[in-house]
Amino acid sequence: MAKVTLEGLGRSFGSVVAVRDLDMIIEDAELVALLGPSGCGKTTTLLMLAGIYRPTQGRIRFDGVVVNDLPPQDRNVGMVFQNYALYPHMSVFDNIAFPLRLLGRPREEKKRRVGRVAEMVQIEPLLERKPGQLSGGQQQRVALARALVKEPTLLLLDEPLSNLDAQLRLLMRVEIKRLQRALGITTVLVTHDQLEAMTMADRIVILHNGVVQQIGSPHELYHRPSNSFVSGFIGSPPMNFLSVRIARVDSRLVFQSVGLQLPVPERLGTRLGERVGGDLLVGVRPEDVRISSAAARDALEGRVVDVEPLGRELAVAIALGAQYVVALASPDFTGRPDDPVWLVPSPERLYAFDATTGRALA
Amino acid sequence: MVPDLAQRPRTLGDVAALARRASWRGRLGRWSLHVTLGILSLPLTLPYLWLVTAAFSTKASFGLVPTGFTLRNWRFLWEPNLGFVSGTAGRLPNVWQVVGNSLILALGTTITVVVVTTLAGYLMSRHGFRHRERVLRGALMLQAFPGVTLLVALFILLRVLGILNSLVGVLLVIASLHLPFALFVMKGFFDGIPWEVEMASMLDGASRLRTWYSVLLPQVRGGIGAVAIFAFLWGWTDYIFVLTFILRRTSWTMALYLSAVIGEYRSVDYGLLAAVGVFYMIPSLLFFLLTQRHLVQITIGGAKA
Amino acid sequence: MRAAIPDRPRLSARQRTVRRRWLVGLFLSPFLALTLLFFATPAIITIALGFTSLDMSFQGGFVGLTNFRGSLSDPLLPRVLLNTVVYVSGTAVFSLSLGLLLALVTTHVAERVGRVFRALWLLPRLTPIVVYALLWLWILDPTSYGLLNTVRAWLGLPPVDLISAAPRLVIVLVSGLIGASLGMVILTSAIRSIPVEYIRAARVDGASSLSVVRYIILPLIRWPLAFVLVFQSLSLLTSYDDILLVTGGGPFYDSTVYALYIFRRAFQSGRYGYGAALAVVLVAVGAAAAALSWRLLNFKQMLAAPKIEAD
Repeated sequence: MAKVTLEGLGRSFGSVVAVRDLDMIIEDAELVALLGPSGCGKTTTLLMLAGIYRPTQGRIRFDGVVVNDLPPQDRNVGMVFQNYALYPHMSVFDNIAFPLRLLGRPREEKKRRVGRVAEMVQIEPLLERKPGQLSGGQQQRVALARALVKEPTLLLLDEPLSNLDAQLRLLMRVEIKRLQRALGITTVLVTHDQLEAMTMADRIVILHNGVVQQIGSPHELYHRPSNSFVSGFIGSPPMNFLSVRIARVDSRLVFQSVGLQLPVPERLGTRLGERVGGDLLVGVRPEDVRISSAAARDALEGRVVDVEPLGRELAVAIALGAQYVVALASPDFTGRPDDPVWLVPSPERLYAFDATTGRALA
Repeated sequence: MVPDLAQRPRTLGDVAALARRASWRGRLGRWSLHVTLGILSLPLTLPYLWLVTAAFSTKASFGLVPTGFTLRNWRFLWEPNLGFVSGTAGRLPNVWQVVGNSLILALGTTITVVVVTTLAGYLMSRHGFRHRERVLRGALMLQAFPGVTLLVALFILLRVLGILNSLVGVLLVIASLHLPFALFVMKGFFDGIPWEVEMASMLDGASRLRTWYSVLLPQVRGGIGAVAIFAFLWGWTDYIFVLTFILRRTSWTMALYLSAVIGEYRSVDYGLLAAVGVFYMIPSLLFFLLTQRHLVQITIGGAKA
Repeated sequence: MRAAIPDRPRLSARQRTVRRRWLVGLFLSPFLALTLLFFATPAIITIALGFTSLDMSFQGGFVGLTNFRGSLSDPLLPRVLLNTVVYVSGTAVFSLSLGLLLALVTTHVAERVGRVFRALWLLPRLTPIVVYALLWLWILDPTSYGLLNTVRAWLGLPPVDLISAAPRLVIVLVSGLIGASLGMVILTSAIRSIPVEYIRAARVDGASSLSVVRYIILPLIRWPLAFVLVFQSLSLLTSYDDILLVTGGGPFYDSTVYALYIFRRAFQSGRYGYGAALAVVLVAVGAAAAALSWRLLNFKQMLAAPKIEAD
């Protein structure tokens, strides 16, 4: 039962600003993901929540109470570190029981609670082993158990899936989410993998160079990105960006660039009208571009550069004028490099961004 | 899952109290750590402080409080042969001659050890010659014979060789007994040079000897520096060997000089003792100040070897 | 077009072997010469001497095992052995504890402060032994001038001559302060090499600084601790110059340890043969102890060495 509030949170190391002006409310029992490339400040934020770093600006509140001055040992926070940080000289049981041992709980209680948590993460048979004898996946579950045994107010996960192999990753994604829902613990998870964030989180905070780009549900981030960074980060293969100029041709608004001309869809036209003659970025996702080998009306003509088999579909890199886009095609697409090809981007799936700030225009 | 409410801070008051306690504990902890360090280090700081102040103050007074600045304690520098208080025949040797002896010993040891170990260290590290293993193992085994066990034998040996009672004899003994250790250190430094550098030099046409001299030696400058410092200090500070092997007062080193001064002037003139002590300590102190980080690394490397 | 390679004299295989041997000789002979002459030869001489009754006037002959048997009935030897046991174990424990305390404290204060104090504690090791002894002679001076007695005067206590009253305590303190520096350096490095993640995880788990030291740091430096203890004990077995300078081994033989006893027998009483025999025993014991502890340490290392987390 903890609502976590971040108010104007900031952290600098000397002259380097790692996190700048972060404002958000994490609701009780919510799973929030801090997402972004390395160096964006997400781990720093996590460590501030844990109390390992003190904010240089702003406040953190647990249930409305400011906890900036509370050291980690008094915050009742559970944390799973990226490398698990299991104490190598203690058995699995002792590792999990450690927080209870520090609280001076009696032996029966320790056994009971460790047993219960071990059952939750399914590691009962491993209790007598040492961490060095466990696989990566097992170590992670032990780390999870250790974080949960003290029934924490807040659960923090630092890149929980990045050290696992692909199959284990899928498994643990489901496991962690299930566990979090069942226990109802407010959880903050840090990751650089947008798929991880999209599949696990209730809401995602995207960070770039210490600055929040957008906070929203996976759906919002995907369909209504607030800037080009967010839209380029979310989704795989990533969104295509075309540098274009708005021009008026035959009283119609078009996006123009070398070797291509694309009509501006009506819903964008109303908002972009005053920008005629200006430059901007047009974004369209690979899956929203229909690709065919035959000419079609209003289609853009390009040349195939490369075809990548993704298994279920093909990622086709296409040269459009002086720029490149990637489009997804079904496996029976027969184009080969240097073949001409025609693209029809879905007009409802076009995004427009300011050329300099990257801010979404529509 | 029933949360354990007792553990969580519930109110503003709880958190504030916890935070206050944590900050108070933090400050107390830091303060007590500094105090502990200070107190622990007193047996160290006080004597050294005394050494310096006593060297420059008149009349021996209570411990540390200096009473009056004077340079009279340093008279051994300009008054040539101080007498023995106890009336023993003869006088103390001139301190400058003694310093000269100490320098000969220390520098001689340094040169010997550096030259010998840079040559042998290279070979041990690089050259797969036939008896390499045996030599290394032999060197290791010799470590079982510490200096004290060889004193008598060395005494006899030096006498037989005719270099007893000479600085050269002591120099050779000190150098030789420390060679295995110094060899391991130098070898370690040579081990750290990538093979490619040597290969490149030989492909460029240099002989092994030339390679060693022009290419590899500059690369182990750090090791040479470390070994040189060690060797200098071994020679400068040695007491047992000079005590045992040097019988002639004119060949005394600073260690024997100070030891004699202590014996004679101990209850009489602590100022003089302190002055001689400070004088003797200067090179050690200089090396210490200039090479701190270096020494720490070598100590660890040597201990691990 | 032929490449411009300088025409070098091609050596035959035999010439190359000769040259190689010459090279090896050049590089190795100084080392071999000095080590064989001044290290190995005395070692052999010592062993041989143990079987003679040579004295300082260089007279005496082969006496077989007399020296060794004689040592068993040497009236001073039991006291010397006791002194040695007390000295080695006391100093090892004292300097290890002090070194550990220093390592822990200097790693928990600000880095600059820690470095200053660690440098300070290296001072005894770097001070010439005679000067170090002078400092202790001042501390222990039996008149009211000595540091100890000055402090006692502040506390209203009469002056004491600690060298006479508790000589074994004195030699433990003297050697212990020097020894603390080694432990401090090694343990500081060991503490520093503990991944910071463990400390953070422990803090999040609720550990105070003291708990972190007790449950995380100390267990993870078990091996370096054992190493320092063993290494120092072995070198204490053969150290005696600081004792010689501060207490002279006295009063009488009360602070004489085995290594010093060898020195006194050989050079103060002039019994070279007997001294050599005692030395041989010391070498044997020292070598056996070293071999035993290497075994133990390797075993321990396998059990206690923390594995860095796999990823």
